[in-house]
Amino acid sequence: MIQIQRLSKSFGHPVLHDVTLSIPTGCLYGLIGPGASGKSVLLKMITALMRPDTGSVVVDGQNVQAMTELELASFRLKFGMLFQNNALFDAMTVAENVAFPLHRLFDLDEAEIRRRVEERLAAVSLAGFAERTPVGLSGGQKKRVGVARATVTRAPIIFYDEPAAGLDPVTSQKIFDLLRAEQQRAKTTVIMVSSDIERLLTVTDRVGMMYRGSLVFDGTTDEALTSTDPYVKQFVHGLAEGPL
Amino acid sequence: MAPPPASTASAPFASLAAARESLYGVAETVGKMGLIAHQIGVRFARLDFDGEELKRNMYKMGVKSLPIVVVTALFTGAIMVVQAAPIVQRYGAQQLLGWGAGFGTLREIGPLLTALMISGRVGANNTAELGTMTVTEQVDALRALAIDPIAFLVVPRFIAMVATLFLSTLYADALALFGAAYAGQFLLGVEAATFYNGLTSGLLGIGDVANGLVKSVIFGGAMGLSSCHFGLAVTGGAPGVGRAVNATVVTSAACIFVVDYFVSFLLE
Repeated sequence: MIQIQRLSKSFGHPVLHDVTLSIPTGCLYGLIGPGASGKSVLLKMITALMRPDTGSVVVDGQNVQAMTELELASFRLKFGMLFQNNALFDAMTVAENVAFPLHRLFDLDEAEIRRRVEERLAAVSLAGFAERTPVGLSGGQKKRVGVARATVTRAPIIFYDEPAAGLDPVTSQKIFDLLRAEQQRAKTTVIMVSSDIERLLTVTDRVGMMYRGSLVFDGTTDEALTSTDPYVKQFVHGLAEGPL
Repeated sequence: MAPPPASTASAPFASLAAARESLYGVAETVGKMGLIAHQIGVRFARLDFDGEELKRNMYKMGVKSLPIVVVTALFTGAIMVVQAAPIVQRYGAQQLLGWGAGFGTLREIGPLLTALMISGRVGANNTAELGTMTVTEQVDALRALAIDPIAFLVVPRFIAMVATLFLSTLYADALALFGAAYAGQFLLGVEAATFYNGLTSGLLGIGDVANGLVKSVIFGGAMGLSSCHFGLAVTGGAPGVGRAVNATVVTSAACIFVVDYFVSFLLE
């Protein structure tokens, strides 16, 4: 369970304002909202990559803000994360990128690491790409390497920041289906930020909408689709007319 | 009617405000470099750093810098002799040529020029690499993967830079003396044996060699701190990386000269 209480953050101007939210264990939660509404910042707050000005984040009963950097290092083993720009390590091959957290954080033998990496690359349809470097991959392939790295440690909570950004519709749908299948297989808690609302809402259990740093909606996917709130309605259905 | 001239009364205050801002900026940079130094020290004491990264950086910074060190050192030694040639010829001081070249090279010119060359090549490259990793969220990715970026990225680079500068200075000293001896023979007809005797006649001691090597370690530390600090502090995408590289080159060079001045005093 992830519990966010009255979270606020400002970089000269407010980027998060009084956000309160609970995400139950095993839920695939979609976080939507216009650009610069604070979605990525909220993800970084939950993983303590950024510290809030006020408020708290409690994950499985542990207050993230109360932890030292050393405590956070072991706490972050709970998380897997796909970054908006993939954040693959350019100096490493695809296989090394995926194996990296296993080498660094787990006491596994080489054969087990190789087996897990091959299994993850096969799951994202990149079985023949192990020795390529990220520089030579397309946008969709890089995303899939990012997904493989985010899931290879079998972390119980996974964040996907724009998993389909810049991808064609077919590849996008495949990525969303893949992430949903992974989430159901491993029973993980997933928070997914995406601008591709139409496809995102085909896989989510619950949805939250951010607007100008505030959480303006939190409910089930069906509630989001049938909401009469003018902000939610306009954004979810992609209407040109409305308050946004 | 002509517009009134800009307020002359506010100009000095504007200058003062700008000077104060600059001073705050310098204090902030020094403070942040101090914090990085503390973080490096803590991890180094715990031996908490990545050995593979250290090896990779030693190769990239040390071995790959050898050609530039060789060229710089050989010509530095030769330049010392060219500058000394008129005096040596006027006073017939051929026996002192080895001492003169050795004194200047070992205590000052060897470590200084090697540091400046390595700073331009290695320091700038290090900032660009860390800066690119920062703006493409690779540093955040390390933290999200529960990997300490200071232990994984910064400490190996810092150690590699200090070690590279120390070893390069040692190597550059020897090559510069070789260059000086060769130039002495070619330009002034001073035999290698005479040059060697001047070098080892007792006017120069191990303290002179140590003086330069101590400086090289301190220069390496200053360069490592500034290049890592500016690399990790990058904001604003590719232009930000460019600004950080520029700041590293300027700060490292300034640090090297300032530190050289004070260390020269302390080691006298």
